[in-house]
Amino acid sequence: MAKSILVVEDEPNIVLSLQFLMKQAGFEVRVARDGEEALREVESRAPDLILLDVMIPKRDGYDVCQTIRANPDWQEIYIIMLTAKGRDVDRDKGLSLGANDYVTKPFSTRDLTEKVKHILSDAA
Amino acid sequence: MSPRLFLVACFAALAVAALAAVAAGTILIDRNLPPEVSYVSNIVIVYGGGIMFLLVAIIAVMWAYLDHAVAQPLSTLVRNIQTILYANPEHQIEVEDAHQLGALPQAVEELVHQLGVARTRVNEAIAEATTRVEEQKRQLETILRELHEGVIVCNLNHHILLYNDCALDLLHVGGQLGLNRSLFSFTNRQPILHALGRLTNRLAGQEAHPEGLTVPFVCASTDGRHTLEGRMGLMLDVEGNPTGYVLSFRDKTEELAALGLRDRLLRESTEGLRGPVGNLRAAAEILVAHPDMAAEEQAPFKQVVINEANFLTTRLETLATHYRDVITSHWPTTDIYSANLFNNLMRRLRDERHLEVVMTGIPYWLHGDSYTLVEVLDMLIHQVNQHSGADTFDLEAVAGERHVYLDVIWKGAPIPAHELDTWLDRQLEDAFGRLTIRDVLEHHKTDVWSLPHRETRAQLRLPLPPAVQQGAKRERRRMPSRPEFYDFDLFRQQPDLTEIGDRPLKSLTYVVFDTETTGLQPSGGDEIISIAGVRVVNGRILTGESFERLVDPGRVIPRDSVRFHGITDDMVKDKPPIHVVLPQFREFVEDSVLVAHNAAFDLKFLKIKEEEAGVRFDNPVLDTLLLSVYLHDYTQKHSLDFVAERFGIEVRGRHTALGDALVTAGVLLKMLDVLEARGITTLNQAIEAANSIVEVRARQAAF
Repeated sequence: MAKSILVVEDEPNIVLSLQFLMKQAGFEVRVARDGEEALREVESRAPDLILLDVMIPKRDGYDVCQTIRANPDWQEIYIIMLTAKGRDVDRDKGLSLGANDYVTKPFSTRDLTEKVKHILSDAA
Repeated sequence: MSPRLFLVACFAALAVAALAAVAAGTILIDRNLPPEVSYVSNIVIVYGGGIMFLLVAIIAVMWAYLDHAVAQPLSTLVRNIQTILYANPEHQIEVEDAHQLGALPQAVEELVHQLGVARTRVNEAIAEATTRVEEQKRQLETILRELHEGVIVCNLNHHILLYNDCALDLLHVGGQLGLNRSLFSFTNRQPILHALGRLTNRLAGQEAHPEGLTVPFVCASTDGRHTLEGRMGLMLDVEGNPTGYVLSFRDKTEELAALGLRDRLLRESTEGLRGPVGNLRAAAEILVAHPDMAAEEQAPFKQVVINEANFLTTRLETLATHYRDVITSHWPTTDIYSANLFNNLMRRLRDERHLEVVMTGIPYWLHGDSYTLVEVLDMLIHQVNQHSGADTFDLEAVAGERHVYLDVIWKGAPIPAHELDTWLDRQLEDAFGRLTIRDVLEHHKTDVWSLPHRETRAQLRLPLPPAVQQGAKRERRRMPSRPEFYDFDLFRQQPDLTEIGDRPLKSLTYVVFDTETTGLQPSGGDEIISIAGVRVVNGRILTGESFERLVDPGRVIPRDSVRFHGITDDMVKDKPPIHVVLPQFREFVEDSVLVAHNAAFDLKFLKIKEEEAGVRFDNPVLDTLLLSVYLHDYTQKHSLDFVAERFGIEVRGRHTALGDALVTAGVLLKMLDVLEARGITTLNQAIEAANSIVEVRARQAAF
């Protein structure tokens, strides 16, 4: 069965690219446009990996991350934060609240795809 | 010529004259005798000789009397007066009893008495004035020393008359500026002359200037590396003539550089991006507008899109990195000691009976605006209290890689991020300009979040930049540490047989302590001059529960030792002696486990004073030095500096007793974890481990 990825992002322009890239790489892709929708999607079926933007409506990325980590069933989900916040403090906060990795925008699409492929092949 | 010599001369002359007269008379009579009575010639000569003898005798007696009754007493009086004048103002005048000086000695005595009274009055007045001047001088020195601005006073020839430490720092002079040296050895000349010229012109002018007799100036250090900005003020004498000037100044170098960098970044992020964005836009528009372009025609446009996108990415990263390092802020940020910050916060919260706040851990230096940070922490604690009902909080500073974290810890669950986010928009109660918590965080370029803390606790974490460490003052001088000290008898502790010995190490109450001493010989007359301890309970360093005393050692503190501890004779002058302090320390220690680095050294000093102070320290003792040797036997480096470094404890404020005690406490906590991993979990096991090291060292010492 294909590994599943949840893209949590409210900006359609980048959703377009992320969705395309991840599908190309052979993963099943779902998209959530805000924090609440993201948590509903996780609840309905936990993905293997989440590409999580920090600045999303309703509940922000930190909140989503913290909520997911609070649930023992969801410890295995690999969370990559994608964000325009590039300060050390933001990275520190993201990793402290349970993200596995932290990628600042703009990023190289090839590097990101390689990273995701690598993580999900290891997990298999 | 002395009076006595004069008298001798006078009487000698008188005698000679009398003799000459009689001799002349006798000869005259003898010559003129008629021949018929020449037989009496012999009689005349005999009479003449008799008269001469009589005259000399009378003159001699008169001289002797005058010398004894007048001349000698006069000399004695003169010597007495000289003694009073030059040696002993209390001297009583003593003159020979049989003098014929009348009331002169009494009159002189009265004069001397009056002189003495007048002298005492003058001395008293001088002493009083001196004390007042000293006091004013001391106050002035304190003010100057505490000023965060450099201050230099010069005369009109630009010779330095006075300066403070800060000036020394700002001019980056090692050692001393040197009084009476020219200011222009340290700053460039023209801006100072210009400012002085403006002031003297202003003084000569008729109308009072709104700024008074001060002008701003900007100058550079002679090497041109530092820009100084400040004000010059003119000093006048009582008649209103200028006698010199005062400079107060700050180092503007960093601020100006930062402002320049910020301007450059702004320019680069606007103008500098127009080109690449223009290229990108043109290429994208052409690709979209001409879908039927041949593939080989499209290729260069696609290449432009990729190239410019990559260029913009790199560019953005560079700008962001530079911007992060720009530390300009219109906020009065300074280096702050976390313990002071927490103390301010605790003082604010003291009135609120329902909240209990405890400061724990090792304090660190950080950089920020103390006032708004206290406001923010105050507000966050109240929010946590309302949200979770928690009423007991620990405050702790933790050193991270790039930040110092201020942690607020309580028993309960972490605050959900969305909840915490809503708190950030609240306005601070007492702050200016309707600041919100978020504003303050933004000004400090930071954020706040909540995490679980150990098993059942949670924390709020607020990262802040570490201290900037301006100037040389706070730079830690790596000082040589004490030699390892062993007292093997003292240290072969029997395992503690009471219940405490089998209790888990982590459940015990410790007092971690340190002493500063006049030297390294406890039995050779060296004494304790400072003792400090901090309590460690349940794996928490209770920073607020610390003991710190200076002690009067009852002897001079050797100059050599002052460079280790910085404690001078003056500082301990009014402090209690050890037999007063030791019972206080005993009370603080109670029945906790004593911990020190190189404990045998400190303990030896305590033991020697036990009898005098009427107390006994029979507590179990752990030595972090011995435990360090036990845990890390691969190295010879076990001084507190090295051990702390090995455990990742930042060392600041060392070589004060409390500073060292705090660092040792940090080391102890880290060690307990490592000891546990090595299977050492009880006090008895730890004591045995230490004893095994003492055995090894004893054997080494025997060879």
